Amino acid sequence: MANRFVRRLGVVAGLIFLVAWAAYGQTPPAATHNEVLIKNAVVMTATHGNITNGSVYIKDGKIVAVGKDVSAPASATVVDAGGKYLTPGIVDSHSHIALDHDVNEATSPVTPQMMMIDAFDYQDKAVYRALAGGVTTSLLLHGSANMIGGQAVVIKHKYGLNRDAMLFPGAPRSIKFASGENPKRVYGSKDQLPSTRMGNFAVQREALVQAQDYMREWDEYNAKVKAGDKDATPPKHDLKMEALADVLRGNLLVQIHCYRADELLTEMAMAKEFGYKLRAFHHALEAYKVADQLAANNVGIATFADWWGYKQEAWDAIPWNAVMAMRKGVRVAIKSDSGDFARRLNQEAAKTIRYGGATEEEALKMITLNAAWIIGVDDKVGSIDVGKDADLVIWQGYPLSSYGLPDKVFIDGDVYFDRSLPGFGMPHYKEGM
Amino acid sequence: MRRFWLAVGIGTLFCTVAAAQQKPVVLRGGKLLTVSHGVVENGVVVMENGKITAVGAAATVRVPKDARVIDVSGMTVYPGLIDSETQLGLTEIQAEDMTNDLVETSDEIMPHMHVYDAFHAESELIPVTRLNGITNAIVAPDNTDTLPGQDSFVQLYGKSAPEMLLVRDIALPLNFTGDQRRNEPPDKRKFPSTRMGLAAQLRQTFIDAQDYGQHWDDYEKKKAEYEKTKNDPSAKKDDKDAKADDKDKDKKQPPSPPKRDLKLEALLPYLQGKKPVVLAAQEANDLQTAVGLAQEFHMKFVLNHISHAQSLLDYVASLKVPVIVGPIYEEPKPEERYDAVYSLPAELNKRGVKIAFASFGAHDSRNLPYQAGYATAFGLPYDEALKAITLNAAEIWGMGDQLGSLDVGKTANVVVSNGDPLDVKTDVKQVFIQGQEVPMTSRQTRLRDQYSGK
Repeated sequence: MANRFVRRLGVVAGLIFLVAWAAYGQTPPAATHNEVLIKNAVVMTATHGNITNGSVYIKDGKIVAVGKDVSAPASATVVDAGGKYLTPGIVDSHSHIALDHDVNEATSPVTPQMMMIDAFDYQDKAVYRALAGGVTTSLLLHGSANMIGGQAVVIKHKYGLNRDAMLFPGAPRSIKFASGENPKRVYGSKDQLPSTRMGNFAVQREALVQAQDYMREWDEYNAKVKAGDKDATPPKHDLKMEALADVLRGNLLVQIHCYRADELLTEMAMAKEFGYKLRAFHHALEAYKVADQLAANNVGIATFADWWGYKQEAWDAIPWNAVMAMRKGVRVAIKSDSGDFARRLNQEAAKTIRYGGATEEEALKMITLNAAWIIGVDDKVGSIDVGKDADLVIWQGYPLSSYGLPDKVFIDGDVYFDRSLPGFGMPHYKEGM
Repeated sequence: MRRFWLAVGIGTLFCTVAAAQQKPVVLRGGKLLTVSHGVVENGVVVMENGKITAVGAAATVRVPKDARVIDVSGMTVYPGLIDSETQLGLTEIQAEDMTNDLVETSDEIMPHMHVYDAFHAESELIPVTRLNGITNAIVAPDNTDTLPGQDSFVQLYGKSAPEMLLVRDIALPLNFTGDQRRNEPPDKRKFPSTRMGLAAQLRQTFIDAQDYGQHWDDYEKKKAEYEKTKNDPSAKKDDKDAKADDKDKDKKQPPSPPKRDLKLEALLPYLQGKKPVVLAAQEANDLQTAVGLAQEFHMKFVLNHISHAQSLLDYVASLKVPVIVGPIYEEPKPEERYDAVYSLPAELNKRGVKIAFASFGAHDSRNLPYQAGYATAFGLPYDEALKAITLNAAEIWGMGDQLGSLDVGKTANVVVSNGDPLDVKTDVKQVFIQGQEVPMTSRQTRLRDQYSGK
């Protein structure tokens, strides 16, 4: 019964595919991109204000021109936004969707060699549902069971394409660390180390010391080889140690799940002690208590707008956290951490206007440019600027409100979601692909 | 039986002590969203002794002389919002078991659990919630039992639990979503581990309760006969022979009452159609099974959730019962379009179904109005969205004469905000509950102020 239904949907989706391409006059994404001119939009650039009656000219998937008067060749496909808002695609800096419940390798508190791409279930409809909410880029992270979890994968929400076509080209590597209740609960319940915050940090410190030893062994070996010692035996290649060494070498962006103010400080102290940099604290619900120190260390936060009270370390969460931290100079992103919130991050960001008085552009940045910075792709996405990827959303209603919902979502200049289409609204999607 | 009903009556009528509103308060110059009779620009609301005593355009309303007049020009004024299902007062920190009194998991059939016995009036969640204009809520046990216990209707302000529990045992949830099975882990599986089992168990319970009620009715009848015989003068004539006849004397003994069973007793008002059952189902098949059960036992019911029953909306409309919808954030199934659940409120409204929204939570109850707002983006008319968190909810819970709109005679639960109540950007400036100015502080505002150097 269900299968028959799915098959029927497949037929519908196939039709949509054809209809869509007829409507846009585009070729499928495998071919070269056509030129697109989106005109008559209120362009919310996220970096240089709004442009009413603005246009964006897209060529080969990149933004080539933005402004009131933009000229495009007659061959460009024209999309009339009808006076609607146009924003950058939303960037979700903390997500666990499309991992088919393989979020945590909760068998050891140190698993930096885990690669989330190995679990990436690119056909998960959660990718589509977030896309329909305007999300174009997501950071898929390991869970928070382990003090040192696995390495993240950065995706573009090109639902309907194959797995590798959905990976964000050239995105830097990120690694997930965690602290606080989750590791101590997971291992404590098995009567293993760690079961306390002392244990948590001891495990983390020990792993980093091991990595230092590992690096020293290799340095010594390499020095011997360089000196012409032909009998030198190489140390064992250890994936786990390699990953940690990459943390110490600064080759990985460190993303830390961390709630309490004291732990934010401890993590920063440990990074200093071992000489690595932190990119962002995730959740960071007590960032408002130590925002000065976060700003001084140039550590961003990926936080919730107003989610609280779900556990002890979320008890001091306040909805003013994002704006209070931002006013102290912290780069703040609002993230989903859930398949549900990912569908309406625009509303979550809008809450910062109410709680603390963020400006429209500040609120928008929290789900675009700041989130892109946390992932390390702010040179490619996160704002409507020349040279950036043409990841764009045309909205029905004002996006920073209860009423905004995406009409069309472009990724690299192609439409991946169009609400007006029947069925799923996805031009590139065929059931069963 | 009569004594039992008296107890129920007292429970139901246990309303709050009249509020201590000191003097009349007048809100002048705001945009009034009355809900019942449209929008009044530059309006006036008068609150006296906890009630709304006047509502209307500034020019037409007479202001009491001793009133405290508050200028709310530029503000939007609307009735307190009602959340039609929460766990407020039953939880503090989700992951900390000792702070939770959500549901008894020892058995599926627990109708004799009363949330008022656990309702924690001093919960830190309550000020957080009311600061966003939510003034009233249904408090329900968690839904992991088919019959987890009875709901209460509360007011989110008051000196004590008795003052805040406006109506105790207002309704009985009946959950049939498939989540009530005791089927994990498989080697520890016990009855009921299937939907058949859950339905059979419910049916047997209802039959037991009907029998129980019948035993009490029989007893009441016998007792009445006995009283009648005892007081009948013609019967008294026989008393002359009484000492000679011990068997006759036995007959004159009052009948002994059946043993009380709190579990079955709790079900009687629902089996007699005196109070509503809140029938929760998500899928189309569960919805039909649940409705079938309710109809089989002639229960009065409202529907709850029905998020994935899109194929049955005409059937739902034909039942002519209200629906507590959503939450609309319930994620669609893989085969459903992204907006399948978002658009449910609009689709129900189109079919003439009365709907109300609920947070189905506690910490996020404050976000209730945004569900209503988002539903308008998917086609629900704005006025209907606002009604679904005010007047519809009040009417569904039998409080339509007291709450849900800005009307003379209603409880003065009034919210003043800087704009559209359904928009996430709107800041609530002042909440009045029973005419009292609620302090606009919570644990969260105190933390904010502490770390802002205030």
